[in-house]
Amino acid sequence: MKILIAGAGEVGYELGKVLSEEKHDVTILDHRQSCLQRVIQNLDVLTVEGNATSPHSLVEGGVKSADLMIAVTSVDEVNIIASMMAKRLGVSKVIARVRNDELSQPDSPLSASELGIDVLIHPEEAAAAEIHLLVKRASASDIVSLADDRLQLVGLRIEKQSKITDRPLRELATEFNDLQARVVAIHRHGGTIIPRGSSVLTANDHAFFITKTEHLKRLVSATGHDNKDLRRVMIAGGNEVGRLLAKKMCEDKQKWQIKLIEPDKEVATKIANNYRNVLVLRGNPTDPNLLVTEGIREMDAFVSVTDDEESNIISCLMAKHLEVKKTVALVSKTQYVPLSQTIGIDAIVNVKASASDEIHRQIRQGMMLTVKALQGIKAEIIEVVASDNCKLLDVPIRDLSLPEGVVLGGVLHNGIAEIAVGDSVISKGDRVIILALPRAIQKVDQLF
Amino acid sequence: MIEQLEQNKYRPRIDIRLVSGILGGLIFFLGAAMILPAIIALAYGESSWPAFMITAAGAMMLGGLFFWAFRPREELRMREAFLIVALAWLIGSMVGAFPFVISGTLESYTDAVFEAMSGLTTTGATILGGFTSDGIQNPAIEDLDKSLLFWRSLLHWLGGMGIIVLTLALLPLLGIGGMELFQAEYSGSKSDKLTPRIQETAFLLWSVYMGMTAVQFLLLWIHPAMDWFEAINHAFSTLATGGFSTQNASVAAFDSVYIDVIITVFMFLAGINFAMHFRLFTGDLKSFINNREIRFYTIITLLFVIGVSGGLWLIENQSFGDSLRYGSFQVVSIVTTTGFATADYKLWMPFTSFLLFILFFTGACAGSTSGGIKMIRLMIIFKNIGREFKQIIHPQAVLPVRVGQRVIETSILKAILSFFMVYLLIFAIGALIMSLLGYDFMSAMGASIASLGNIGPGWGNFGPADNYAEIPYIGKWVLLILMMIGRLELFTVLIIFTPWFWKN
Repeated sequence: MKILIAGAGEVGYELGKVLSEEKHDVTILDHRQSCLQRVIQNLDVLTVEGNATSPHSLVEGGVKSADLMIAVTSVDEVNIIASMMAKRLGVSKVIARVRNDELSQPDSPLSASELGIDVLIHPEEAAAAEIHLLVKRASASDIVSLADDRLQLVGLRIEKQSKITDRPLRELATEFNDLQARVVAIHRHGGTIIPRGSSVLTANDHAFFITKTEHLKRLVSATGHDNKDLRRVMIAGGNEVGRLLAKKMCEDKQKWQIKLIEPDKEVATKIANNYRNVLVLRGNPTDPNLLVTEGIREMDAFVSVTDDEESNIISCLMAKHLEVKKTVALVSKTQYVPLSQTIGIDAIVNVKASASDEIHRQIRQGMMLTVKALQGIKAEIIEVVASDNCKLLDVPIRDLSLPEGVVLGGVLHNGIAEIAVGDSVISKGDRVIILALPRAIQKVDQLF
Repeated sequence: MIEQLEQNKYRPRIDIRLVSGILGGLIFFLGAAMILPAIIALAYGESSWPAFMITAAGAMMLGGLFFWAFRPREELRMREAFLIVALAWLIGSMVGAFPFVISGTLESYTDAVFEAMSGLTTTGATILGGFTSDGIQNPAIEDLDKSLLFWRSLLHWLGGMGIIVLTLALLPLLGIGGMELFQAEYSGSKSDKLTPRIQETAFLLWSVYMGMTAVQFLLLWIHPAMDWFEAINHAFSTLATGGFSTQNASVAAFDSVYIDVIITVFMFLAGINFAMHFRLFTGDLKSFINNREIRFYTIITLLFVIGVSGGLWLIENQSFGDSLRYGSFQVVSIVTTTGFATADYKLWMPFTSFLLFILFFTGACAGSTSGGIKMIRLMIIFKNIGREFKQIIHPQAVLPVRVGQRVIETSILKAILSFFMVYLLIFAIGALIMSLLGYDFMSAMGASIASLGNIGPGWGNFGPADNYAEIPYIGKWVLLILMMIGRLELFTVLIIFTPWFWKN
């Protein structure tokens, strides 16, 4: 697939990296020589120097023959204009990052499609939404909403006091027959295991479950976590992610008590002015004195989303040391992801990952509704619609021979969500939830 | 652009010709307004009509001459606007005083200026009906010609919404730099600008003002105790939150519950921002109800009505109905800085009169015709105090001060706090001068705050049943300057006395 990426900033660079590794033909367009240098040195892509709003540069970047254009410059308006032109120049699919959410409101005078944009992405918004979910579900490390919110994928650490340890999964299924949940992956000692009926969960395993939304609470307590609702949250960093998170929490039905730390005076003032229910503190988020005077000990959750990921990890560690129940860090470097789970940070959120998830989903095209890379384990969760020539139709799952590294998690049949069990049958038009290891992803495409 | 700069190079810091040109226009306008009382004098066959005609002719000729000679051709600058507004009010009072002297009603010109300034600033303090310091007896209010009574009320009415706002509304003469003049005189905020053009905004504000005056006039007129003349005088005086009455005993002279209620209601309405009234009439009920200042003003007024009426009822053992009637009238009269009276609050027991004394400092809403510190400032000051307490607990927190959804910027906050301080300082200086002239504690403080707050009746020697005649001339000048400072919200007048105003 020929892909043109406009903007070689953080997101553009990361996308270029991921997409070129997946053997797509990627061209990156930017007007900043310094950014292009980094791309040239590290990535196997073509670069074009030029402005994204210039038709000439777009043509030079191969817009006429491209299948996909991704506009991810830092300026909304540039992305919009580039998208409009790209669409006129014949790109079939345009993805643009637009941070201003007014365009996607129903009362907007111009819809995104009128601007030539097929998909609007907003990575910071997606990251904020993910953190919001994680903070709501205190003990989960990952949480992905599936099948129109009827099913959930949750990552949970198995605690010592859990009742489900050291017994084969097959046995658990019969004992907890009112708790519909299925283990789809286990992360143990740095490796990923696809469980079988005979597999056993042990304490400190990091297990990924697919469960019905209404059974989530019971599942959480079965893994040995107390199901306490969090109320007091401290957010370190008032950048876009922090701001959006605070905004989401303010709009939440549940009353949050939010404290937000931001060193920059202007940013802090702006947030304080806009969000009445947020107590904005001006100071350094890694300053232990500030954290202690502002009562970090009483906090239920600590979310660190500053642009400096090292200090995100450090301040989360500090919070963990001060016995905060839930810590979430924003980390972009993929190398840090396993590290931070080893040292006990509860959850990691990655802005660039959420952007590339979104774009992945668009590239994989067609049937796939949700694609989400799970942090910590190398696996993707995919929601897909079974088409006519799906090879798994009308046979009980028990009898299917699935490729290595593919697990069926759930089926949404005529609006009713079911956890996949041996007797489950996939019919045409069903939505199927699959967990796949990277090496098996291509095979999933062929199956459906 | 370059041309303009070159022109400006040769322009003095304060262009006296420009200032006198615009002042000329304003004086011309005030002279024209005097034709109305002259007509009244002629209609009632009073001998005072030449006094009005002479002053009107003089003012119109001189003002017209200045305006014609120095018609504004250049854009006004801030300094000139301040100077024009302050001088307009001072010269306007001095011109407005002439009919009292020429008609022979008042012997002393100082007394006449005091009366005119008290009228124009909507203070309502009078020197009529008392002996001056050099033993002259001023006539009582009832003995005055109807034309002069009307002139006092008309001065209230013109000064209520502001002579400059009125001139802006009616004449395009202040076209250039009108916004600066408007801001220097108007007590509301810039967001009260209803239309893109300032002239249109001024016109709309005056239309609302005039419409409400007309409604109140009709409501008063239908009561048998009032003839049309008394009705129009009281309507002028109420909407301007002035306080001049055609009766020495003020509104108490009519002794009617209906009149008390009508005047109480309209005093209260006159204490609300007229830009909000305009919104209300255009059907924007929501912004009227959601206006925090109006809410605060209503709550404060209700609390004080409960306090004062309760005091009268439970402690002074008046009947419940009387307590409510007199309590609410006095409270609304003072909080809106009108100064009408139906009871002598000086004679009440300490608690109720002290409650009223607190109200001497508040004033009603910004953008209304009332004086005083204004509710919005007090509200912001209170919120700021709350913020300071919170800041002690969270030293590093960023805590904005909010009014409704709006965040009050630090610069505005500072301006409000310094306004408050300067207001109290000027009040103290005024009281100090009065005490130097030999007045007791309450009289001195009362006269000072009643003038500065544009209320009218004060305390001690200057209660609602008394007058200001006995004060020595120097004291009268001090008080009338206080009235002007209070009406123009301190800084417009005070800035002229700072060295920075005259230096580069």
